[in-house]
Amino acid sequence: MEKAEIGYKRPLLPPFDLSVRSGERLAVLGPNGGGKSTLLKSLIGLLPLLSGQRVFPTGRIPRVGYVPQTHRVDSVYPLTSLQVVLQGRYGLIGLGRFPKARDRRAAFEQLEKVGMPETASVLFRSLSGGQRQRILLARALCGEPELLVLDEFTADLDPVASAALLAEVAQLADREKVSVIFVTHEISSAAIYSTEVVMMDARRGVFAAGRSEQLLTAEALSRLYGQRVSLEHRGDRTVVFVESGRPT
Amino acid sequence: MSDSISVSDFWALFGNAIVAALVAAALCGYLGFFVVLRRLAFVSAALGQISGLGVAFGFFIGSYFGMDPHAPTPIYLDPVVLALVLAGIVAAVLGYVSRVERTSPESLVAFAYLAATAVAILILASPRIVQEAHEVGDLLFGNAVAIRREHFVELAAVALAVFCSHAFLFKDFLFVSFDREMAQAVGLPVTKLDLLLHVSIGISVAVATRAIGALPVFGFLVLPAGAALLASDSVRGVLALSIGGAMLAAGGGFYLSFVESWPTGPLMVACAAIYWPLAAVYRLLRRS
Repeated sequence: MEKAEIGYKRPLLPPFDLSVRSGERLAVLGPNGGGKSTLLKSLIGLLPLLSGQRVFPTGRIPRVGYVPQTHRVDSVYPLTSLQVVLQGRYGLIGLGRFPKARDRRAAFEQLEKVGMPETASVLFRSLSGGQRQRILLARALCGEPELLVLDEFTADLDPVASAALLAEVAQLADREKVSVIFVTHEISSAAIYSTEVVMMDARRGVFAAGRSEQLLTAEALSRLYGQRVSLEHRGDRTVVFVESGRPT
Repeated sequence: MSDSISVSDFWALFGNAIVAALVAAALCGYLGFFVVLRRLAFVSAALGQISGLGVAFGFFIGSYFGMDPHAPTPIYLDPVVLALVLAGIVAAVLGYVSRVERTSPESLVAFAYLAATAVAILILASPRIVQEAHEVGDLLFGNAVAIRREHFVELAAVALAVFCSHAFLFKDFLFVSFDREMAQAVGLPVTKLDLLLHVSIGISVAVATRAIGALPVFGFLVLPAGAALLASDSVRGVLALSIGGAMLAAGGGFYLSFVESWPTGPLMVACAAIYWPLAAVYRLLRRS
């Protein structure tokens, strides 16, 4: 994104530049109301830019897989998990064309990859929140995305399930050579699973971007959240403390 | 009625109307799947009124040009064409404004319904179209026992066009209805798909209303699909039950009307209304 202004009718942030490098996992950090979800939607074209432009090095819009924060499950739709996952391939299949056996096979393989093949014929609406997020991740991956966009998609999960799903995403992304951009409030997750970090808030916009190991410092995080933050590294884990002393 | 004419005479008199009602029921039963899923039930009611307004307005304008209501009219004054255009435009607009800030979709649909009804009644009160008032009244309140050949042809043509186009675009319509953002993210033209779906509902409501009346059309759009969604847990099952149920209600309404000499349109709706409690009981039994 070059000199991008994003928002709904009015700019939410000052103009900014942002690049997502191929094969990288980019974490977007910032306080609530800082425009993170709007940034993601603008990045993948769900919202038009108010000014500036989106530039694609390949000359074409990349295939995108998108997982929203929480899917408002409409209990009226009688769709099975496999049918929901298959929707991720509709961009590849094309408008007005019918899914073939190989598309169904690909959808089932994605269900297996997220560890839920047994739910193929189960109604999506009957699944738990965590299971639904896995199905939506499978759907996002089913379209063979070049860019995977995850908007706080583990926010409703318990810490164990959240860490497991993020680890799966990191593995899948590395294996399938997919670029990932994810919004999270879990600094330790960003430290573990991202290779690059963007920091943003409503006042300064996108004010810092760089390699995770360089940017995820106590000083930078204190600047981002306006609170004194300290970090403690335990093995490959990073524990984050705010001023009160409670780990976040 | 049943004592006075034979079945063959009955078929000769009402055969076209029965086939038209079955086609309209199949069309509405299918579109009802999307109408109920997308919470457009009252949009379909408003479109029925708007269709009636289009017809009334066509006759009203025709009277200014000295047109004989029973003679062939130029296409731009044809009440059916006006009804189709008006219903298509309003359906497209109602689909779009639901996403506009500070606009409540329900109040907008209510506005369309009330405005169309009020203006249609005012037009019907005009002394210029006394002859046609009865025909427009039939459209608004339902009269499925008589249908002109040209109305039947219009209905059949629209049903064929809708079924053919939807056969190819069904999966895309369903995806856009279920998750618009993801559909857009994978590159589907969501605005065009929404527009096409709404316009196909609008035009179908207009021709079906012309053929069997607003009340049965509204009933067939909402009742069979709503009951089918209660009774079945698969897309195919819901479609089959909704289309089959609407056609059965249309046929049943005609049969009861023939036997009991009661008004056909309300009987069709009454037949379709039975499905909902039946489906609810079936669901309760299945759970227990």
